[in-house]
Amino acid sequence: MRRERLRRLLPYLLIVAVVGGLIVQRTGLWEPIEGLLSRVTVPLQKGVSQVVDQVGSLSQTARDLSNLRQRNEELEAENARLLLEIVRLREIEVEAALQRDLLNFAQSHPSFDIQGAHIVGLVIGRDPSNLQRYVTLDVGRKAGVARNMPVVTNRGLVGRISEVGDSWSRVLLITDVSSSVNAITQSTRATGLVQGRPDGLTVMRNIPQADTISIGDTVFTSGLGGNFPRQILIGQITAVERNDYDLYQTAIVQPTVDFNHLEMVLVITDFEPIEE
Amino acid sequence: MTIYLLVPLLAVVGLLQATVVSRVTIWGVFPDLPLLLVVSWGLLRGSRQGLLWGFVAGIIVDLFSGAPFGAATVSLMVVGFVAGLGENLVFRNLLLLLLTAFLATLVYDLLFLFMVQILASPLPGTVQTVEWSGSLVRVIGPSAVVNALLGLLILGVMRAMDRRFRRQDTGLAGL
Repeated sequence: MRRERLRRLLPYLLIVAVVGGLIVQRTGLWEPIEGLLSRVTVPLQKGVSQVVDQVGSLSQTARDLSNLRQRNEELEAENARLLLEIVRLREIEVEAALQRDLLNFAQSHPSFDIQGAHIVGLVIGRDPSNLQRYVTLDVGRKAGVARNMPVVTNRGLVGRISEVGDSWSRVLLITDVSSSVNAITQSTRATGLVQGRPDGLTVMRNIPQADTISIGDTVFTSGLGGNFPRQILIGQITAVERNDYDLYQTAIVQPTVDFNHLEMVLVITDFEPIEE
Repeated sequence: MTIYLLVPLLAVVGLLQATVVSRVTIWGVFPDLPLLLVVSWGLLRGSRQGLLWGFVAGIIVDLFSGAPFGAATVSLMVVGFVAGLGENLVFRNLLLLLLTAFLATLVYDLLFLFMVQILASPLPGTVQTVEWSGSLVRVIGPSAVVNALLGLLILGVMRAMDRRFRRQDTGLAGL
């Protein structure tokens, strides 16, 4: 009898629970509950990710062994070339430092800005949906991470922190369609907005028709809008879409960060984004 | 299957989806295991069970996702319920099974995008946008094909599980 009553009521109970949950989510009361639940899910996620990484790296090592000899020879040649390159770049670095002092730049290179003020976070999970591009990190509020902080790797911009828990945080990747980054091209100084595309590429929109953009040009953050530090590498232009009847032109940008193999990232903590 | 088995099973599947499955991409997309489980259970056990599985799986997916909480729960509940309307009909035809998994992915992903659009609170400097046509062509379409192909395997496994548990089902999950 009781079971029959429960059977009849089940759909209504579930719908009430969902509607109640949505109201809680909209009022912002969900965050503490999610934080509590994450205490269970985050360690599990971290554990599984580490196991998968180790298994992946073992099989990769076995595959790589056959190519190692040839690769070693190539690397030795590359090493010799790079040593010469380093000598040349050191000269340029000294020149650049002098020029920067002379021009009294308000902001120096972002790689100098983040020295000593970053947190290394491990990627422990990805979004379970194909339509969302987020990663979960194993660092959170306790480590000094806060919402909106920029996230980078040595290869360029990754995204920014969208959610923070005590010991975890979630990063909205620049490849997500809701991400938007003010950007500038390196050689022609054309400005625009880099936004994510559903297929994981990024596209630079709102570039004035009068600006010149070319395939192969590199794209950096411009710092406009105050949400990201300037001069962080985003990617390289691979295609340009231009129609005479449009106000703006568009460029497809291939991100320099390999989002499919993202393992370790830096969270920049000394940059204060402008809250809107 | 009791509720004590249902929750851990879907939790493990959700965990695998967020850590392992999301790394394995085919045509730029990865299979959606929680969706396939909910759809197949709905097809086997009817709308009430589809709704219940959608509810539990949805909460677990929402926990691992950056999308606003509730987006996956509502979408999976609807898809689970609708799949349940075809209880015991679809399993008679292989083509119909493929088509069901394909359509379920389309409906689920479109509903999910709709929920994201109405529930999201965007970060400063961003606008919550949904690229309907781009998502449909570049993500939802390939994803529906991948899910349809993998769906056959999942449906087979779930059918075996259904036979195993059908006799001993008691409690909430046996409703």
